[in-house]
Order: sequence, then C-alpha cells, then structure tokens
Amino acid sequence: MSRARIRNHIRRLRFDRSEMTQQELAEKVGVTRQTVIAIEGDKYSPSLEVAFRIARVFGVPLEEVFQYEAPDSEAA
Amino acid sequence: MSTSNAAEESAMKLRGYSSMSNLEKRTVNFLILTLVIYGFYFARVRRNAGQSQFAGEALQALIVAVVAIIGIEILYRLVAPPAGVQPEAKDERDSLIELKAYRNAYFAYGTGAFLVISAVIAAGLAHISVTPFLMVNLVLLFMVVAEVVKFVTQLLYYTGGLK
Repeated sequence: MSRARIRNHIRRLRFDRSEMTQQELAEKVGVTRQTVIAIEGDKYSPSLEVAFRIARVFGVPLEEVFQYEAPDSEAA
Repeated sequence: MSTSNAAEESAMKLRGYSSMSNLEKRTVNFLILTLVIYGFYFARVRRNAGQSQFAGEALQALIVAVVAIIGIEILYRLVAPPAGVQPEAKDERDSLIELKAYRNAYFAYGTGAFLVISAVIAAGLAHISVTPFLMVNLVLLFMVVAEVVKFVTQLLYYTGGLK
C-alpha cells in the first residue's frame, strides 16, 4: 500500500516573498530552522496549528501551501 | 538566488555535524559519551566477572561512570550558553522525535528486563546460582542499551525524517 503524502510549496512561497530565509520563516512560525528544512524537504508533516501559522505568514489559504496526495488505493 | 538561500540549499544537501541543530549535536555528543563511559565501565566489570558481590573495583567504576555522566551533563549546561551555544527551544518536531525515542527505549529496556528475568528463572530451574553482581550488571547493561536506543532513534528521525 502506497502512503499518502503531503506536498508543500513553501520554498516557492519563500522566494516569492523577497527570498525569505528559512530562519526568518522559522522565527515567524515559532519553530526551529531544522523543522522548516524538514517540512520543505517533505520529511516532516507539521501539525495543523503549525500548517495554519505558515499559511498565515505567507498570507495565503492553507491549500496554497500544502496539498494532500491520496494513496493509490484511496484515489481508485 | 541570494547567498543565504544558496547556503540553505547546500546545508540541506550536506547534513554534517556543523549543520546540525544544537539538540542534534547534543544527542550525538551524549551518545558518544554514553558509549565511551559505559564501555569503559563494562570493560572493567568483565575483569571481575567471577565476583559474587558488588564491591571493590567494579563499584568504584560504577560510581565514576555515573558521576562522570552527571558531571558532564551539568558542565554542558553551564559551559554551552557562555560559549555562544544557546540551547534551542524544542518545537513540536523535537517533542515528537523524543516521544518516539522514549517508546523505542522503553521497548528495549522491557525486552532486556524480560530476558534477565527469564535467565534468572531458567538458572533457578537448572540449579545454577546467579550472583547479585551479575544481575545488577545485566540490568544496568539493558539500561545503557535503552539509552543508546533512545539516542540512535533520535538521530535516525532527525536525519531520515519523520512522516
């Protein structure tokens, strides 16, 4: 069974916002830079609270930052 | 692309010791420390394996090992902030990794305790005497194994990701 994935566009959104650094984003969201790196690299799916805080920093809806990719079994 | 973002890109590719967070560095340091100190302790214990009581050289080595670990932990907390190494605040990812690490450590320690109890019962049934010295050290060994499992789990989740 393939696993569901949560994709994100944080890197693009950071570059669109005057090339905001990971450190700046981390400080605004209230997490460590390593956590921002892990989220960007699809190595960590944040909690809903952190996901909403990230979306709020960029001033966009949550769906514009994160996308849910259903596993094959669920999509069929 | 700005210099800072280029630096971030390379930092993501090269996840070496220098690019680790302070929490990750602390985990690596204490893993090495635990292996060295308890490695030294168990090496000394092996020399006294035939001993029936927990005394003498082995007791001295245990006290040195425990005091060394506690002493270095205190020193680390006292020296790190003045040296500019600010202890990072834990966020949700760190807490989740810690929880998973404790779960694995608990499983390792539980397995160890089960093995020690089984060995003692088996030895009793076979009329083989198990010395308190051996029992204490077996329990201690599995405590150290659990600690190592905790550190290794943390490092694996920090480097491999947490999905």
